[in-house]
Amino acid sequence: MPVEVSRRSFLKLAAASGAAAAVPGCKPAARHLIPYVIPDDDVIPGTPAFFASSCNECAAGCGVVARVREGRVIKLEGNPVDPISQGASCARGQAALQGLYNPDRLQRPHRRGADGLINPIPWDAAMGQINKALREAAAGSDQIAFIGPPMGPAHEWMVEQWIGALNSRMRVAYAPLDGAQQRAAMQLCFGREFVPAYHIDRAEVLLSLRADFLETWGSPVELARQYAVFHTPVNPGANAKFGLAYYVGPRMSITAAKCDYFLPCHPAYEAAVGLAILRVILDKGLAHPAPGLDMQALRNLVAPFDPAAVATKAGIRAETIEKMAQQFGQADGAVALAGSDDEAAHVAAWLLNAATGNLGKTVDLYEPETPAGAPAQNLDVAVQAMHDGKIKVALIANTNPQFSASPQVHFGEALRKVPLVVWCGNVPDETAQLAHLLLPVNHWVEDWGDTCARPGVYGLRQPTMTRVVYSKPLGDILIETARAAAPKASALPFENTQDAVRAFWQQRFKNHVGAEGFDAFWDQALREGGYFTNVKPAAVKLQPAFSQSAIKLPEDLEGAELILNAFPHPYLYDGSGADKPWLQEIAEPVSQIVWDSWAEVHPDTAKRLNVNKNDLIQLTSPLGTIEVPVHITTGVHPAAIAVPIGQGHTSYGRYARNRGANPWAVLPPGRLTIAIKYNRGVGQRELVSPVYTGDMYNRPIVETMTLAEFQRGEKPQPWEEPYPSPSELYQPVVYPKHEWGMTIDLNACTGCGACIAACYAENNVPFVGKEEVRRGHIMQWIRLERYLPETADSPTLLTMPMLCQQCSHAPCEPVCPVFAAVHSNEGLNLQVYNRCIGTRYCENNCPYKVRHFNWFKPAWPKPLNLQLNPDVTVRGAGVMEKCTFCVQRIRFGEIQALTENRNVRDGEIVPACAEACPSRAITFGDMKDPDSAMMKRRREHEIRVYKALEPLNTLPAITYLRQVYRPRGEV
Amino acid sequence: MAAVPQPDYHEIDRTVMRTLEWPGWKYWVWIGFLFTVVVWAGLCWVNQIYNGLGVTNLKQPNMWAMYITNFVFWVGIAHSGTLISAILYLFRSRWRTAVYRIAETMTAFAVMTAGLCPLMHLGRVWFFYWLLPYPNERWLQPDFRSPLVWDAFAVSTYLTISILFLFMGLIPDVATARDESTGWRKFFYGLVCLGWQGSDDQWRHYKGVYLLLAGLATPLVISVHSVVSWDFAMAQLPGWHSTIFAPYFVAGAIFSGCAMVLTLMIPVRKWLDLEDLITPWHIDNLARIVLFTSLIVTYSYLVESWMAWYSKDPFEVMTFHERYFGPYGYLFWLMVFCNCIVPLLLFSAKVRRNLTLLFIISLLINVGMWLERYVIIAGSLATNFMPSQWGFHTPSVTEASLTAGTFAFFLMMFSLFARFLPIISTTELKEGLRWLRQALRQESAEAA
Repeated sequence: MPVEVSRRSFLKLAAASGAAAAVPGCKPAARHLIPYVIPDDDVIPGTPAFFASSCNECAAGCGVVARVREGRVIKLEGNPVDPISQGASCARGQAALQGLYNPDRLQRPHRRGADGLINPIPWDAAMGQINKALREAAAGSDQIAFIGPPMGPAHEWMVEQWIGALNSRMRVAYAPLDGAQQRAAMQLCFGREFVPAYHIDRAEVLLSLRADFLETWGSPVELARQYAVFHTPVNPGANAKFGLAYYVGPRMSITAAKCDYFLPCHPAYEAAVGLAILRVILDKGLAHPAPGLDMQALRNLVAPFDPAAVATKAGIRAETIEKMAQQFGQADGAVALAGSDDEAAHVAAWLLNAATGNLGKTVDLYEPETPAGAPAQNLDVAVQAMHDGKIKVALIANTNPQFSASPQVHFGEALRKVPLVVWCGNVPDETAQLAHLLLPVNHWVEDWGDTCARPGVYGLRQPTMTRVVYSKPLGDILIETARAAAPKASALPFENTQDAVRAFWQQRFKNHVGAEGFDAFWDQALREGGYFTNVKPAAVKLQPAFSQSAIKLPEDLEGAELILNAFPHPYLYDGSGADKPWLQEIAEPVSQIVWDSWAEVHPDTAKRLNVNKNDLIQLTSPLGTIEVPVHITTGVHPAAIAVPIGQGHTSYGRYARNRGANPWAVLPPGRLTIAIKYNRGVGQRELVSPVYTGDMYNRPIVETMTLAEFQRGEKPQPWEEPYPSPSELYQPVVYPKHEWGMTIDLNACTGCGACIAACYAENNVPFVGKEEVRRGHIMQWIRLERYLPETADSPTLLTMPMLCQQCSHAPCEPVCPVFAAVHSNEGLNLQVYNRCIGTRYCENNCPYKVRHFNWFKPAWPKPLNLQLNPDVTVRGAGVMEKCTFCVQRIRFGEIQALTENRNVRDGEIVPACAEACPSRAITFGDMKDPDSAMMKRRREHEIRVYKALEPLNTLPAITYLRQVYRPRGEV
Repeated sequence: MAAVPQPDYHEIDRTVMRTLEWPGWKYWVWIGFLFTVVVWAGLCWVNQIYNGLGVTNLKQPNMWAMYITNFVFWVGIAHSGTLISAILYLFRSRWRTAVYRIAETMTAFAVMTAGLCPLMHLGRVWFFYWLLPYPNERWLQPDFRSPLVWDAFAVSTYLTISILFLFMGLIPDVATARDESTGWRKFFYGLVCLGWQGSDDQWRHYKGVYLLLAGLATPLVISVHSVVSWDFAMAQLPGWHSTIFAPYFVAGAIFSGCAMVLTLMIPVRKWLDLEDLITPWHIDNLARIVLFTSLIVTYSYLVESWMAWYSKDPFEVMTFHERYFGPYGYLFWLMVFCNCIVPLLLFSAKVRRNLTLLFIISLLINVGMWLERYVIIAGSLATNFMPSQWGFHTPSVTEASLTAGTFAFFLMMFSLFARFLPIISTTELKEGLRWLRQALRQESAEAA
C-alpha cells in the first residue's frame, strides 16, 4: 500500500528521530519522578517530542505518535507512516490517555486481607508471594493459568515461554469480542483461519450483515478511511461514481445510518438474507467462477433460502433482496462484511465474496503468522480446570472476564477455588475484586510491546514516558517470576521487557534485516513505530463442498417474541472504555445519549409493551435480568430491543461504577442476542442527551442533495430565496497574510466522534458528568449535529461536525462589550479568556451555538491533570470559551516557519479534529492559498459546497460539502 | 355628608410632616422582613460568585434568563418616574404635583436595583468596571459597538439624572421639615436641604435648574429604554432582532412604571393618611396613562407577530409559533391576559376610581410586564437557529432568591424613604393648591 507522507508527518518523524536516542525506555528508566532541578538534556521546555508507538485500545493495532511535553504524554495522534491508521485515530485511541492518567488506577501492589479489603504492600513482598506460589505450583503440571487478551506477538511469545517454563499449558486467550464467529466461518469455508484485510475503497457495492465497521468491527480507523473513499461522490454528471452500501441488521448503528440503505432485519435472519442474496446471484448466473467454487454444492446450500420466504421472516421486501443481489453480483468489486454473532451470517458473507470473485479483490486473506507453539486455550477449559481445583495460581492480566464472561461460564465461582489469584491491570475492575494480589502494570503508553495488525504490518510499542504509578511492566513480572520460580531458569533470560521484545524482533525479522544490521533496523522501527512491508496475500480456495448442516441459523431466536440485541457501544466497546470520562461524555452518535445504558425500543413495540420514554424495563433471559430505561426509536427492528454493552460496572473506577446495566450478564457465551421476557420496572430514569431534538425543521444546517441531482450536475437551490445582500456598515476585514479556513465533507463524515475526543485532549476541554450534561452545561467545543429525518425522500440520518465557524462577519464579536471576542487578521474569531467578564451575549448571538460558558471551575481529578496541554490555557469559572481552530498549533507552525525563514507550508498546521478524523472529512488550510489542499477540495467538489446557515450572512470560514444521498424510500 | 375638605398651605405642611414622625412597630417589622430577604439574596449571590454561575439554571442556550429579565423590568419601572416628573412638568400637567415625588423616588431606587441585576448576571462580576472607559496603562477600552456598553452608559446616565432630579425637588420640602423638627432630625434635614433659606435668589436658581433638569431628563425617557431594547434588537436572534423594539419597549416601560406607581401609591396614600392630598382625580389620570400604554403594548404584540408572519422568515415564524404554543406558551398567554385584557377594564371610570380593583390590576400588570421580558428573553433563546441546541429554562433557587432580593431591596429603600423624607412635594402642591381643591370638590360632588 503506498504510504503518503505529508510534510507534517515528515516533521514529526524528524523530531522523533532526533529524540529516538532519548526514548525513556532505552536507558535505565528513572524509578521516581523528580523535578528538573538538574534538567534532562533531552527535554527542551516548551518543545514537544514525538514518540511512535502502537495503540492497544482495540485489536486493530493502529500506529500512534505520542506527543510528549516536559516528560508527559499529552496527546496521542495517528502515526502517518503506519498503513493502518495513516495518521488518523479514533475516540477510543484518543481517550487512552485517560486510562493512563486515570485517577482510580491502582497506585501500588495490594494484597487482599482476611477481611476482604485490600492493603498496599511493597513490590518485593508481592513478588515473593507469587514466586513462592509459582514454585510450588510448577512442581505439578497444568497448575498455573495465565488469562489475558490476545496480545502482540512478543508478549504472546513471552507468555508462552513463561507458561511452558512453569510446566503448564493453561494460556487462556480471552476477549469478549474476539471475532470467534468470523474465525469459525473461515474454518468452515476455507478449512482454516486467515487474516482478512478489506479494501472497501476498491468496491462499488457493500453489504454489511450487522458489521459496524465504522465503530467497533474490525479495524474501524482503516475501514472508515476506505469507506470515505468509497462513499464520496465524484464526477458530477452522468458518469457520477458513488459507492452503494446496504446494511442488514436489527439496529441502526451509526454505520447502518451511514450506509445508503439501512434494512431493519429480524436478528435471527441476517444469515438467511445473505444466503438468499447468494441464491439470487447464483440463479441469475452472476457468480464468477473462482478456484474451488463448486456451483452445484453452493446451489444446494442456498436452495432453502427462497427470497420471498426469507423476506417475510426477516422483514425485508423480496424485491429488495433481488435488487441487492443484482447490484452485488454485477458490481465491479463488491464486499460483504458480517458482524453478527451468528456464524451463518459470516459464512454467508464469505460465500458472497467468494462467489462473486471478490476474494483477492476487495478482501485479501493472509496466512496467519502466529509464532509456533501450543494454541491458546478457551476460557471454558480454564474454568473447568479451576472448578476441578487443578489450578493453583491464576494470573489474570488486562482482561475482565468477571464482567464480560457469560454467567453460564460461572467464571467467578471457579476463580474462587483458585488458591492464589493474581490480577495485573490498571484500574481495578470486577475481576480484581476476586483477586488475592493486585499488581499495577504499566499502561501500554508506558510499556514495550508490539502488534501485528496483519502480516506485513508489524507495529512496535515503546514507552513514551516514565510511569505514572508504582507499576511494573507485565513483561517484567513474567521475566522476574520465570527467573525466580521456573525449574528451567533459561526460559526468559532477559533483563527486562525491552530486552525481551528486542530479542524477539531480532529473531523474528532476521531475514528482513538489511546490510546495516539489526541495530539500524531496530532504531528505524522504533522511530517509525514499527516495520511495514508488503506480504503477498494467500491464495485461498473455498472448501470443495458444503453439507447442508454447515448452516445453522440461530433457532432459539426464531419466533421469539422479543430479542435482546446487545451491541458494543462505539466508545465503551466491551466495557473497557467505561472508566474514561471523555468516552462517557461523547454521546453515542445515533441515540445521542451520554453516561448511561438504554434500551432501544421500536415505537410499535413500545405501544405493544405499553412503555414510554425513560421508563425502566426489566429484560429477563434465562441467565439473568437487566434493568434499563427505554429510548424509543424507529432505528431498531420491532422484534428486537437493542442495549449497548459497556456500562453496568460494579467496580472499575469512579466513572464506570454503578452506571447503567451490563448486558453480558444475560447473554450466553459468544452471543449478542437472546430471546428475552419483558417486565415493567419500577419508575423511570432520565436518559440524558445534550441534544434537544432530531428534527432539523428544514433549516439550512445539514444540507443534502440526491444522487439524481448530483448526476444531473445541478447545484441545488438554496433552501429559501437568498436574503438580499446587505450593505456593509463596517469596513471589510483585511487579512494580510493568512485566512484560515476549513472544508468538511459531510459524505466522508461517519459521525464517529474522534474529532470530539481529540478536541478534549488537545484543548483542555473539561468533562462535566451526567448531571451537568442534563443541566445543559456540556463543554464540547466540537459536537456532532445529528438529525433524524422522517420522510422517504430523505437520508437515514444526518450528521455534521459543528464547531466554531470562525465567521468573517462574526455575530459574537460586536456584541462583546470588552473586546474579549475579537477578530484576528488571520480570519480567526479569538476569544481572550483573560478579558472575558462573562456577559454571555456572544453565545446568545451565535447562531451555531458553539460557544461554551464555564459554569463552574473545571476540575481534573489528579492525575488526569497531567494530560493537560501546556500550550492551552485552562479556563476558569465565569468565562466563555470555544473552538480556536487550535490556535496554539497555528502559532507553533507560524513560529516554526518564521525561525526557518520560510512561509508556512500547506498541511503543516493541522487542528486536532482534522488530524484525528479517520475518514479524512476535515481539511484545514489557508484560504488565501488557492493551491492548498483545503481550497482544492472546495474546487473539486464545487457542486457540493455550502455554508451552514448561509442566509444569515455570517460568512463562515468553514465550508461544508453537502451530503449526497440515495433517498431511503427508493430501496 | 362630610364637609368638602379644603386643605390650606398649613394643612398640606402638617399632613406631609406627619409622615415623617417616628414609625410604629408594624413599619419596623415590614422593614425587618425586607431586610431578611435582601440578606438571604445576598448570601445566594455570594454563593453564586464563589461557586460559579452553574448554581443557577442558566444553561445552553438560555444564557440569559431571570437576571436580565429583572434588569429590563426594573429599568422599565424607572421610566414612568421621569415621565411624570419631567415630561408632565414641561407640559404643566396639573395632576402631576401630588404624584411625582412617589414616582421619582420609585425611579431612583428602581434604577439602582436595575443596576444590580447585570452585576448578578456577570460571570466575573469582579471585573464589572471593564464595561466603563477608564484610563489604564494598556489603553484597553470597551467596544462601543456593543449594545451592552451603550447600556452601561444609558443606565448610569439615567441614574445620575434621576437622583439629581429627585434631590433637587426635595430641597425646599426638606427645608420645611428642618424648620419644623428638632434634634438629630433638624441636623439631618439641614444637611440634606443644603442650607435652603427660601430667598428670592434661591427660588430663582432652583426654578431654573429644575427646568433644566426636566429638559435634560426628557430625552432620557425615550433613549434609555430604547438602548435597553437594543440589547436584544441588535442581536440576530429571531424574536429579538426587530426594528420595533425601541418604541415597543418604551411604551412597555411607561406602562409597567405607571402600574408600579399605582401599586406603591395606593397603599402609601392609605397608610400615611394622604387621602386629602392624593385624590382619586390623580389616580384616575394615572390609570388613563396605564390604559393608553397598554393599548400601545397590545398593538406592539400584534405588529410583532404580524411582522414575523409577513417576513416569511422560517426562523422568525417558528420562534413566534413556539412563543404562542411551545413550552413557554402558557407564560405568553398569561402575559396577554395581564397586559392586554385586564387593563381594558380601565375604560370604565368606575374601575378607575375603585382603588382596590386598581391595586389588583396594577399588580397583575407588574406580573405581566415581568413575564413579557422573560418570554422575550428566555423564550427567544430557547428556540434559536439550531434545533439540536434548543432548551427551556426553569428558575433555580438562586435565581428566584436573587429576583426576590431585587424586589425586597427596592421596597425596603422606598419604605425607608417614605418615612424619613417627604414623599409628597409640599412646594408643588401649594403651587397647585387651586387644582387640588377643585379636584376635592369635584370628588365630593360626585360622591354626593
